[in-house]
Amino acid sequence: MTRRRPEGLTASLLIGPATLVVLLSLVLPLALLARYSLNRYDRRTFMVEAFTPENYLRFVTDPFYTGVLWTTFSIAIVTTLLCLLMGFPIAYKLARSQSRWKSIGVLLIILPLFIGSTVRALGWMGVLGRGGIVDAIYGAMGGTGISLLYTSFAVGLGILSINLPYMILTLQSVIEGIDARVEEAADSLGASPPRRFWHVVLPLALPGIATGGILVFILAMNAYATPFLLGGARFQMMAPMLYREFAVNNNWPFAAAIAFILMLTTLTLTALSSLLVQRRYRAQ
Amino acid sequence: MANAIQSATPSTRGAWLSKLVVTVLITAGVVLMIVPLLMTAYMSLFADGVVTFPPSGYTLSWYGRLAEFPKFGQSLGTSLRVAFTATLLSLLIGVPASIALVRYRFIGRGLLNVLLLSPLTVPGVVIGLGLYVLMVDIEIRSEIPLIGSDWVLVLAHLLITTPWVVRLCVANLVQLDRSIEEAAANLGAPPARVLWSVTLPMMRQGIVAAALFAFIVSFENIELTLFLISPGMITFPISVLQYLEYRFDPLVASVVVVQTAVIALLLLAIDRYVKLSKVV
Repeated sequence: MTRRRPEGLTASLLIGPATLVVLLSLVLPLALLARYSLNRYDRRTFMVEAFTPENYLRFVTDPFYTGVLWTTFSIAIVTTLLCLLMGFPIAYKLARSQSRWKSIGVLLIILPLFIGSTVRALGWMGVLGRGGIVDAIYGAMGGTGISLLYTSFAVGLGILSINLPYMILTLQSVIEGIDARVEEAADSLGASPPRRFWHVVLPLALPGIATGGILVFILAMNAYATPFLLGGARFQMMAPMLYREFAVNNNWPFAAAIAFILMLTTLTLTALSSLLVQRRYRAQ
Repeated sequence: MANAIQSATPSTRGAWLSKLVVTVLITAGVVLMIVPLLMTAYMSLFADGVVTFPPSGYTLSWYGRLAEFPKFGQSLGTSLRVAFTATLLSLLIGVPASIALVRYRFIGRGLLNVLLLSPLTVPGVVIGLGLYVLMVDIEIRSEIPLIGSDWVLVLAHLLITTPWVVRLCVANLVQLDRSIEEAAANLGAPPARVLWSVTLPMMRQGIVAAALFAFIVSFENIELTLFLISPGMITFPISVLQYLEYRFDPLVASVVVVQTAVIALLLLAIDRYVKLSKVV
């Protein structure tokens, strides 16, 4: 064999371009945004150079903004748990299925991913809105018109239907990685199905549950179109609020501060949960 | 039925109950995923201009009026162009990066892995706002108009497509048998040749899945794109979003039904070539 190029050089040539793109279009903008978040807003000139924490203080001291953060967080947690609850059995059935319909099933799960959140929101508007199906059925039963639109229920339903496929696909690939013989062994040793699930399948699927849960949680924390269309002006979440602060109020420093609060909350929570899972994993 | 349950032993009754719970959960999940799509398709057939249930009649005429949807062709063109370019570029930088991450040992490998996947954990609206202020900053300094150009959108989308490419290709690569590449090297193939004739062909399924996901996340992105569009240039999902802000009628439903149908056919076509149920 001839003289080999050092591995590090080849590797850096391979990985360099991607690293450069991420550094330039993620790290640089975030650094600039961090700087802007310390500036002061001015009604006439919009932004004044400053070095003040007042944007952050305004957020934490105003119950309206902390309320929106809390709403966003609760919606994200509830939808993530429901995604897990509904996604796991579907993913399990798909992963263990031997039938020729399996690929059709997987395709049906993948398809909604391509369709985008606006389409799903549109469908829910037809179900929940005034003149929608729920309203019509309620009216036929003698009720006097209800609109479930612009409620936490509508937004939660919308986010759930969007995030469920992501959860199912993540879990399915993890469950397929679990050797079916392990379950057969538990079976033949006399474990009942629930016992087999709690003591064999669930612990083995835990990393997938964490990955899927974190993915879905982040998606829910950042949701824009669903709360925008199904929540309207009455039901506020972080992402639409940030956009409004930027586009309508032109308050870039405050929008930047909201951005950092949203990002840090999301990152802290995901880091905590993956740490928790890792520790549990080692303990076993 | 009731007798059967009563005579059942506690353990089989428990099994019966857990089966019921599982069935209910599966049904609820499937209903949640399907209802909004079916409802959209159903609404596109309503005869009235306003969506009220039940409709006074049904018609297919909305499908003949697709072109009336504001900026329909233009925004669809922008979306396809941006998604295609972003997918191609992210494969060009993401596939080599994933090979480096899996097949090479070097300092800072773990850190780079985290960095390359990090755009997935940063909220889209945060990246969007950040890129916007950066572009404005550069515009002011260089006096080159950037906002509203395809390339800014492509760069922004590259940031969310590349992590998916890296993630899926890394997952694919770790499953591949390394000994085949080593055999090729032992038989005298130079590293570049091994890469081109052995590693890349073996990665075919992973690359197709990566391209597919890259295309999806770019095509349907709203959060990032929102900040970077200009009145002259908007993407398809945003034109639907803007329309829905003021009007909610069967026309917009028929527009998205057509989009969905095209995508479904595309997926079926790809599925014949590479089994999607195996790669995703």
